[in-house]
Amino acid sequence: MERSFAAEIESLKLGEGETFHGEGILAVTKALLQSGVSYVGGYQGAPVSHLLDVMVQAKDYMAELGVSVQACTNEASAAAMLGASIVYPVRGAVTWKSIVGTNVAADALSNLSSPGVKGGCLIVVGEDYGDGASVIQERTHAFAMKSAVWLMDPRPDLPTIVRCVEKSFELSEASHTPVIMELRIRACHVQGEFTAKDNRKPAISTLHRTPAAPHDYATLSHPPVTFGQEKAKYEERMPAARRFILGNGLNEKIDGRHSDVGLIVQGGVYNALIRALQEIGLADAQGRSDLPILVLNVVYPLCPDEIVGFAMGKKALLVVEESQPEYIEHEISSILRRADVQTALHGKDMLPMAGEYTSEVLVGGLAKFIEKHVPRLGNAGAKNYADEIAELRARAVAALGGPPPIRPPGFCIGCPERPFFSALKLVEKERGPFHVSSDIGCHSFGTFPPFSFGNSILGFGMSLASSAGVQSFVDKRPIAIMGDGGFWHNGLLSGVTARLLNKTDGLLVIMKNGYTSATGTQDLVSTPRAEAKREAGGASTTDTELTIEGTLRGLGVKWLKTVHTYRVDEMKKTLDEAMSTSFDGLKVIVAEGECQLERQRRVKPIRAAALAAGERVVRTRYGVDDETCTGDHSCIRLSGCPTLTVKTSADPLKSDPVAHVTNGCVGCGLCGEAAHAATLCPSFYRADIVSNPSGFDRFMARVRNIFTKAA
Amino acid sequence: MSEPVKVRSILIGALGGEGGGVLMDWIVSCARMNGLAVQATSVPGVAQRTGSTSYYIEMSDKPSDGPAPVFALIPMPGRVDFVAASELVEAARMMERGLISPQRTVLVTSTSRMYTTAEKMQMGDGRFDSSRVLAAGEELAKKFVTLDLDKIARETGTMVSATLFGALAGVGAFPWDRAACETAIGAGRAAAASRAGFNAAFEAAAAPNSGPDTAPAAKPGVVASAGEAGGFAALPAEGRSIAALGYARCADYQDAAYADLYARRALDLAAAAGDGSPETAHALAEAARRLALWMCYEDIARVAQLKTKPERFAKIRAEAEMSDDQILSITEYLKPGADEIAAILPKGLGAWFMRRVERKGAPGALGRGVHVATTSVHGWLTMRALAQFRRIRRASLRFADEQAAIENWLAAMKTALAGSPSFAAALAELPRLLKGYGETAQRGQRNYDAIFSSIVAPAVARGDFSGAASLRKAIAAALADPEHVALDAELSQAAE
Repeated sequence: MERSFAAEIESLKLGEGETFHGEGILAVTKALLQSGVSYVGGYQGAPVSHLLDVMVQAKDYMAELGVSVQACTNEASAAAMLGASIVYPVRGAVTWKSIVGTNVAADALSNLSSPGVKGGCLIVVGEDYGDGASVIQERTHAFAMKSAVWLMDPRPDLPTIVRCVEKSFELSEASHTPVIMELRIRACHVQGEFTAKDNRKPAISTLHRTPAAPHDYATLSHPPVTFGQEKAKYEERMPAARRFILGNGLNEKIDGRHSDVGLIVQGGVYNALIRALQEIGLADAQGRSDLPILVLNVVYPLCPDEIVGFAMGKKALLVVEESQPEYIEHEISSILRRADVQTALHGKDMLPMAGEYTSEVLVGGLAKFIEKHVPRLGNAGAKNYADEIAELRARAVAALGGPPPIRPPGFCIGCPERPFFSALKLVEKERGPFHVSSDIGCHSFGTFPPFSFGNSILGFGMSLASSAGVQSFVDKRPIAIMGDGGFWHNGLLSGVTARLLNKTDGLLVIMKNGYTSATGTQDLVSTPRAEAKREAGGASTTDTELTIEGTLRGLGVKWLKTVHTYRVDEMKKTLDEAMSTSFDGLKVIVAEGECQLERQRRVKPIRAAALAAGERVVRTRYGVDDETCTGDHSCIRLSGCPTLTVKTSADPLKSDPVAHVTNGCVGCGLCGEAAHAATLCPSFYRADIVSNPSGFDRFMARVRNIFTKAA
Repeated sequence: MSEPVKVRSILIGALGGEGGGVLMDWIVSCARMNGLAVQATSVPGVAQRTGSTSYYIEMSDKPSDGPAPVFALIPMPGRVDFVAASELVEAARMMERGLISPQRTVLVTSTSRMYTTAEKMQMGDGRFDSSRVLAAGEELAKKFVTLDLDKIARETGTMVSATLFGALAGVGAFPWDRAACETAIGAGRAAAASRAGFNAAFEAAAAPNSGPDTAPAAKPGVVASAGEAGGFAALPAEGRSIAALGYARCADYQDAAYADLYARRALDLAAAAGDGSPETAHALAEAARRLALWMCYEDIARVAQLKTKPERFAKIRAEAEMSDDQILSITEYLKPGADEIAAILPKGLGAWFMRRVERKGAPGALGRGVHVATTSVHGWLTMRALAQFRRIRRASLRFADEQAAIENWLAAMKTALAGSPSFAAALAELPRLLKGYGETAQRGQRNYDAIFSSIVAPAVARGDFSGAASLRKAIAAALADPEHVALDAELSQAAE
């Protein structure tokens, strides 16, 4: 795993009255333990990876509590795990990144929600929406509604989040329904504090086992009981949920002196709303507002009594609901119409349909609402604010002479996936463009310059499946690229077995770096074993871990080649062969090279210890002679490494910047390989630097110096 | 009721992997130690992989018993008190997003650059203009402080997170003293380096007249003359120092006679100039530069000569920050093509060799990369031997070709200088396309030839130099993409 959670594990052990300091998602983790969960699972992905990562690392403490922790291999498997709570009175929680994870989990989610649950079930989803999001912009809300599971969207401060976690389990048990809690990216990463409670050891757990439940057909999602289950959702469970929500005051009402209007806001957007109100002089820093606000910490289901009660006596409401479509606004509309409440309802008519609701956006919407329904307030400075910011931006762009260049994420220094794309670039140069089915993972950085590969992305592990139709009609063999993470998440079944079943042509490249690296280098079933890593020291270990190759052979893949990604020339030849061979079945190239983040984590302490002990240590880095570099930057167009950059030439005659390797170079070797494979230029050199040289090193250096007067 | 609490907001723009999370933790722990309500958040996500990212912190200005403020999770344009950027273009990004307000925001930025891929991959110079960012900062920030955080971090052996912390403290971003920051950094060896970086950045940022401490990179060509510029008195001032450098370069490349040839060519151009306008002066200076680089084209002998210069090893040692007791060995990555071998052979032999290659393909040994350890005795002698081909360069195949092409260009230059300084200035730039090795060189040659034959030759033949703009556009197009898509479009448009 990419980082160590040693300090965070200690804060999970805090007891009653102590203050927890830390990240939002770790506060959720602590709240799970305070709620007495028996089991926890999930699939990693920003922004919720840490929930599971910390629990996996806290193995010993979890064993002490009797809590079972499972790293699931995809979200469907995580959702299915909640099946434990259908028949047993045990609390369980799982986590994943939404919307994508919820899509994958949807089947199990339907089958879970239909029979309902005995023990409290909580699904913590990272609502990956807005600034910093890495997935399709859709709402989890839709899944909550169609499966009739309840959806929490707590105010993004730690005490509220923690309370909502604890209340979610009670709500789940009171209404026999799973609960989803959506946390936006920044809420997951927010640093705050709350007063802890003691952790609760679950009554049924790894420490206290229970007899298997007797057969009860009613707990199956199987006809004919599914018909009754559907009725129960709306006739029993939802009313029970509403009673619980109202009874426990889960939603919060804030009074304001302009009581003839009101705002209804998702909990997660509350802070941005307060800041917007503050900007136009209608709230203070502590959140005291002049406009009444109903804060929905539970966004599904709504409680009609609460909505009607809030609307009564008001001439207008503004629903502040981020993302589309406007499910909450529609539901409020129905509630008001059914109750014949004549309050004007606004929402997406005044606020944008799509995009994150930042304070800036909300100022604009509030201005429209106030102008229409509280004209005595004037425009309350909203127009001034909008003008001020528009002018600021215009001045900035004018002063800068245009927008600054974008900086998307990219491959790390020394990433073993970069050389694969260098090889692919060389193949493309010779063969012309071909269709590339991309996938999710670090290798999707290959879609950015300088590589710019990829015609489609259809989901995690879906690249081979997504090229099934394409291969039937394009003139050149298409390539599907997936990571080992995607392969185990979905690609093996949806892609490989489908191709084998149909005996159709196909070319799959599996980037075997040993981990699900993009999410924080979590382990896979094919992650190199601890002893292999110990033996390898700083070397790559993915060449000896052959689970993927064994699996493919076992399935009957006949054309299978494993190539180390740093052998750029060999990779290029292998790709050439795969694209031109007459073999018309599935061809798989395993592009192997261990995640550099994991390698560097091993290398650094080994090297530091050796240096400290006075042992001979060789550091390799690459360099460019700026005298021979002519400043064409072909090498950069084949690499994009952060340490391969440009600088003003020391030669005053050269006007274009020359290539330059910074001292951050980890000596991965791509520069030299690419220079060779692409017949680039003689400017690259490799420098091997020997610290604590041996007597022999010194002697040889002296001999060489007689000739070279150099090193 | 107690007096209202004010919220202080701090935004940090950085790159993934710079330790921004650690910085955020330091700030949060300081705030807690001082009894302030605080909230910090970030959007690391995949941005941790070297992309742009940001960290946002809000805190109450002073301790209070009342309810804690409702903190925002997203910085509000125009309403941020302190912004720090670990890199200059990230500061520009903050300005572009409207986050820097002249009424409110103190902006402290590193002057260092981590070029984006989009800037680096251009065939010419795609770097964003740093001076514009510095000017924009002066215009848009209430207070603008610049310092080289990357350099300070390297000098003190720490990460930019520590120097950012020092810079923020130095500009007064925190309602606590410097000692509290040092306490937050903690103890231990890494912490000692962090503290050193923190302190150095603090001093630099707090210095009263803190301005750009790294002057914008000098434009090449304005460096004072190292050679005898006196011989080039006939050239305008702008071109003299360039010509002196060119003269010295040619002497180093070949011999004194070759340098004299350079001088004659440069002075001939000056004699052909029609007027003494600044444009003409610029054309002559640029031509002197391109002529020198062209005459010193990089063949195997030149590469071997440059790679065995004694000062090269000292430079590499310095660049790698090596200490005296470390031993360096250098391995070159060479893969000379058949044409590059033929280029240094005597003309007749080289031509025969190329005919043979065309007929039978390159001998097996060619096209296979070789590793030459220049620091080994064998490697050194090999490279020195290759460098000796310089002695027969005048008789080589490529030399003859290059000199003919140079004369062609010079002839066109002379006519253009007399006819149109503006066209001459553009034509002086044209040899900029001739660079690189192997395929890159071939592409450059192709582009040069295409532009020369479709724009330059007709202009010279007709004596009509009105096409300076299209010549300049064609050169820019040739540098726009390696697949010469832009150039082909440009030339076909010019032909219509």
